[in-house]
Amino acid sequence: MLLNHLNPSIKALTVCIFIVHLAFVFEPMPVFLFLIWTIVATFIFGNVNWKKYVLYFLPFFIFAFGMLWTTIAFADTSEHTNEVINLLGLTVPLDSFLVALALSLRILNVAALSLMFIFTTNTVDFILSLIQQLKLPPKIAYGVLAGYRFLPLMKDEIKIIHAAHQVRGVNQGKSLKDKFSQYKRFAIPLLASAIRKAERTAVAMESKGFTGDRNRTFYRQFFVTKRDFVLPGILLLGFWGAWFL
Amino acid sequence: MSRVVEVNQLYLQFEANPNGYTLSDLNFRLDHGESLLLLGPSGCGKSTLTYCLNGLYPRELDGEIHGEIFINGKRTSDYRPGEISQHVGVVFQDPETQFCMLTVEDEVAFGLENIGVPHEMMEGKIDNVLEMVQMQTLKKSAISSLSGGQKQKLALACILALEPSLLILDEPTANLDPIATKDVIQTIRSIKERTNCSLIIIEHQLDGWTELASRCLLLNRNGEVFYDGDLRSAIKNKLALLQEQGIWLPKVTQYFLNRMTQIQRELPLTVEEFMKNPFPLHGYEEVNDTNIPLDTGSPYVEASHIYWDVKQQPIIQDISLTFYRGEFIAIIGANGSGKTSFSRILAGIQKPTKGSVSINGRKVGSWKESLLREEIGYVFQNPEHQFIANSVYDEIAFSLRLKMETEGIIKKKVLTVLETCGLLQLQHEHPYTLSQGQKRRLSVATMIVDNQPFLLLDEPTFGQDASSNAELMGLLQRRYESGATIAMITHDMELIHDYATRVIVLYKGRLVADLAPTELWELPLEKLHKWQLELPIQVQVQNCLKKEVNYATQSS
Repeated sequence: MLLNHLNPSIKALTVCIFIVHLAFVFEPMPVFLFLIWTIVATFIFGNVNWKKYVLYFLPFFIFAFGMLWTTIAFADTSEHTNEVINLLGLTVPLDSFLVALALSLRILNVAALSLMFIFTTNTVDFILSLIQQLKLPPKIAYGVLAGYRFLPLMKDEIKIIHAAHQVRGVNQGKSLKDKFSQYKRFAIPLLASAIRKAERTAVAMESKGFTGDRNRTFYRQFFVTKRDFVLPGILLLGFWGAWFL
Repeated sequence: MSRVVEVNQLYLQFEANPNGYTLSDLNFRLDHGESLLLLGPSGCGKSTLTYCLNGLYPRELDGEIHGEIFINGKRTSDYRPGEISQHVGVVFQDPETQFCMLTVEDEVAFGLENIGVPHEMMEGKIDNVLEMVQMQTLKKSAISSLSGGQKQKLALACILALEPSLLILDEPTANLDPIATKDVIQTIRSIKERTNCSLIIIEHQLDGWTELASRCLLLNRNGEVFYDGDLRSAIKNKLALLQEQGIWLPKVTQYFLNRMTQIQRELPLTVEEFMKNPFPLHGYEEVNDTNIPLDTGSPYVEASHIYWDVKQQPIIQDISLTFYRGEFIAIIGANGSGKTSFSRILAGIQKPTKGSVSINGRKVGSWKESLLREEIGYVFQNPEHQFIANSVYDEIAFSLRLKMETEGIIKKKVLTVLETCGLLQLQHEHPYTLSQGQKRRLSVATMIVDNQPFLLLDEPTFGQDASSNAELMGLLQRRYESGATIAMITHDMELIHDYATRVIVLYKGRLVADLAPTELWELPLEKLHKWQLELPIQVQVQNCLKKEVNYATQSS
């Protein structure tokens, strides 16, 4: 439960710093160990639904595997021919295999760190904390929040427009080209209504006194406390441990 | 008494419309604690005036503005940005787009944060305004889970938190069902009593508001004030102008106007007023010719045991019914009772989770899509969703061209339809540039050009002024008389009384009543209120008169 209560900005910064650090590790083993550490930490210290976690992780896994495969297949084999290993009946230079493994593990690790953040952070809290701790301009922050409210509305609207055009007797797109022109036809009503809605929301926000000024008070206040440095500590411990093992 | 608003010789012109002024020579004053009804046809610049009063214009205006506006003795342009929100608060029409946060308390807090209320004082203020609109229990709720009426009350609470001295309500009840509308008006009335703020009310439907404000400011299509004063004397002296401009009158007043040959007396503005001082309608008998026996019709659309769930939430539960040819059906119920979903299932746009719909004895699923569309027309709530082409003419010609008719026949048909809909002059315009009422008529026109025998409409009269409403209903009535079956979702009880032959009432996704309108009005009031329905004015007045007659016969 701890991860869910940390200051979102500090959490985001921590994750970013470790992602950058990972870029300088070229050995597969430390990356692998740190990956395990990250995932374990996510489940021990965070309240995470594992089914959803696996589902979100899957695309990264496929991507990582693709990376592994292409790096091996297109490796420069002319120089490193002294040591080879056998992989699924293929003879592959050991060096290029290790590079490929490090690359794909790094992808997985970046994914694990990002998911740790995403699964334990409330979007609204994150944005509010960005304003308060990282001095994000309120104009952008509240714009993003208002947009976030619109997403499900837009999804519903696409469905309605689709049905409305169907009623008019517009043929349903079968080929790729038809589908493309179909979406082009959806775009105009969707954009028209989105612009109008956005304008209305902007007017409503402004008439509640919103100016985009940084000088504002906060109902939900976010502070940085000692507790917020526990996560960097945990990750640093794992990182060092993985490095020196 | 202090003056809250003073507008002197205000002219406003948009860059996009260089030929005419949107607001022209506007002068008016509003004192502290005074209430004003701002009335006028669609597109007369009512909302533009709102933007001028809350300081949005001239800051955000693409165009020119002349004249002076004072709020509490200070020019709107002299206020710092954001400061004016503590003097003028606006509640807008669309409950969906007024919010930028996700929960009720955050949304109320948003305004307080903007004006820099210290953190310690916020909690108290939030509780206070939520109590004013009776929403304390929903403090932690997500905004998306609220009903339309609750959203509108929340919007009101957000504005009240800023303690403005002037409250502008820009059609706050346009999207609400009758009972939710009453509730919102009641809330505003109690707020008015508590805070004694000034009110400017912009509305199409005057009912319920006339007791709050007797003074009215009438605008015409050119954005000029043609009357400023008491609503009663406006009705007495300026009636022809009011009707010409398509301004809605209170329903009771309209009712008597339609039924009295000459008007010698002052007309009531509300039913309560009429009840206090009833007068007989000489020489007028209410005839209910809508109650035609339906034995001539044959089964047409049959729905059997329809269920529809979204994310395990039941939206429609076990609805079975049969529509007959030649019916004019009204589908009614509270906001969110499943009316729209049900109508879409009927039209074969939405597949039900369980159950089936047959048309002419054949299941909808087995119809060829193009044939089904020739059988059923469906008019969506937002007309823009249905527009495909780049001009009004092409829009109507679209479905004819799909059927490979020759250009000559198409032209003849399109022009006839445009003629009946009163859109002939606009045939080369882009559909998006039309006014609300014209868009609505165009969307209906695209559906009637094919002569579909079954027409479904989702709130066709929503948000229109009196004259475009009358034109639209005329259009539907002609279609009905030429033999079409019509089903229409609506909140307008008077419309049901005047046009419908059958009423379908939905309540929480279930079919709770299926009867003729006259039978519906005879049901106990508690039942109607539970379904969020009201008696139409016609029936209320008749009931009142009947009581009066009974009383007279008993006492004599």
